[in-house]
Amino acid sequence: MIRHALAEGWLLLRHRGLVSLFLALALAIPIGLAGVTLSVMRWLEPAVGTVDRANVVAVLLHPHMGDAQRAAWLGSQRRDHPEWRLEVVAPEQLAQRLIHWFPYLKDLLERDGGAMLPPLVEITTAVPESVAVLERSPAVIAVGPRTPLTSLLGRVSRGLGIALAAASVVLLMSAVLLAAVWVHLELYRHADEITIMRLVGATESTIRGPFLVATAAPGLVAGALAALGTSAVVEALSGMAEVLGLPGLTVSPGLLAAQAGAGVVLPLAAAVITLMRHAAVDDE
Amino acid sequence: MIRLRSVDKEYDGRKVLRNLDLQVDAGEFLFVTGPSGAGKTTLLRLLYAAERPTAGEVWVGGERVDNIARARLPGLRRKVGVIFQDFKLLRRKTVLENITFVLRFHGLSPREAHRRAYLVLKRLGLHHRQSALPDALSGGEQQRVAIARALAYQPRLILADEPTGNLDADLAGELLSLLCDINYQGATVILATHDNSLLESIPARAIVLHGGAIHYDGTWPP
Repeated sequence: MIRHALAEGWLLLRHRGLVSLFLALALAIPIGLAGVTLSVMRWLEPAVGTVDRANVVAVLLHPHMGDAQRAAWLGSQRRDHPEWRLEVVAPEQLAQRLIHWFPYLKDLLERDGGAMLPPLVEITTAVPESVAVLERSPAVIAVGPRTPLTSLLGRVSRGLGIALAAASVVLLMSAVLLAAVWVHLELYRHADEITIMRLVGATESTIRGPFLVATAAPGLVAGALAALGTSAVVEALSGMAEVLGLPGLTVSPGLLAAQAGAGVVLPLAAAVITLMRHAAVDDE
Repeated sequence: MIRLRSVDKEYDGRKVLRNLDLQVDAGEFLFVTGPSGAGKTTLLRLLYAAERPTAGEVWVGGERVDNIARARLPGLRRKVGVIFQDFKLLRRKTVLENITFVLRFHGLSPREAHRRAYLVLKRLGLHHRQSALPDALSGGEQQRVAIARALAYQPRLILADEPTGNLDADLAGELLSLLCDINYQGATVILATHDNSLLESIPARAIVLHGGAIHYDGTWPP
């Protein structure tokens, strides 16, 4: 009966071509938006991370500093600034924390494989701006983000991410609802036919198959459009970021696969539920 | 083949069938007759489980169908060939597709379904209209397509509800002779009609329904 489902599903699609196209676009837009949002949020993670750690400032020490020199430097800072809490990042967390605080070092760290990672100290203080004084210290290579602007950027990034994610969810729910309503309307339009099919011995899978095919097909198109759209938008954003000297954005193959899957699975689930609820009508 | 035991059927408190007891043996030809509203169509609908009785038992081919599970309905209906009073043809499918469609449920390959559908259409003189849609056919032609569909898979039980209602006398006679042939080959045929001339054309068992009860059960004419 697979052949029957495909043939009848194709007929349904042909008769409702515009609606099917609209359904595909309605699904592709939120799935694509969700994909772009996730990619951008992954890129903005360091900035967003500063919101939760607004009182923490990262300080990068000179890599050629010996253990004794580093201990002496730490001791002097603790003496001069008793209001600071200094923590040396453990070697096993060093690479991850360095990328978190200094994303522009990512390429360098990946290229050198962490052979000579500079020591990193995280300073917790009520006045992050006060850490700026360390920029003059010869032992220090760089002082991490600490200004209110950074914090603002982080908050804006996080807010934007939440808003985009919420918009994706709302649009996606609308699209799934649209798929369910479409199936419901088609069931109503074909009610006589379904009754006849039942009376001549058609099984439920024979009756429902074409509706599932007709819903899965726009879903497949939607998934592909969403994945392609996400790749294109992320590529464009990455180009813009690199022009500004920022690290580029990437989109993971797993995300693209998830988008393609969501395009098919979500409308199909809506169709299955609608068919379960409304296709089981009496014979006449 | 068929057994009804103390069957009642009510619609909104109005009794359509009353305490009906009936047995039809395999290979029998049975006329069901009576005035309009006597319960002929309801009786047939009980046999292919389009209706459930209010009380009593309905057995078809050794299977109790008055409380049959929904999942087993397709299996029952594939054993029964029903010729509907209002044809029940699929409007978007051609004459040939209306028949091959049902044959495919029975596991026939597309080629075999096509061959058998063509043969049955030829037998009913409709092979030249195989590509027409039902709406392009006359009432009589649509009736013959409905008959072809019911006969195509050679069911052991044929239920015909006023099958000659849209046919002229010659075609009605041809249909009856076709049903007699099928019956002769071993199929059980139950034919509901209020056309007395049809009843008189062949000697067979007949039941006369009146007000939902059997008033006569025996060979026709009495």
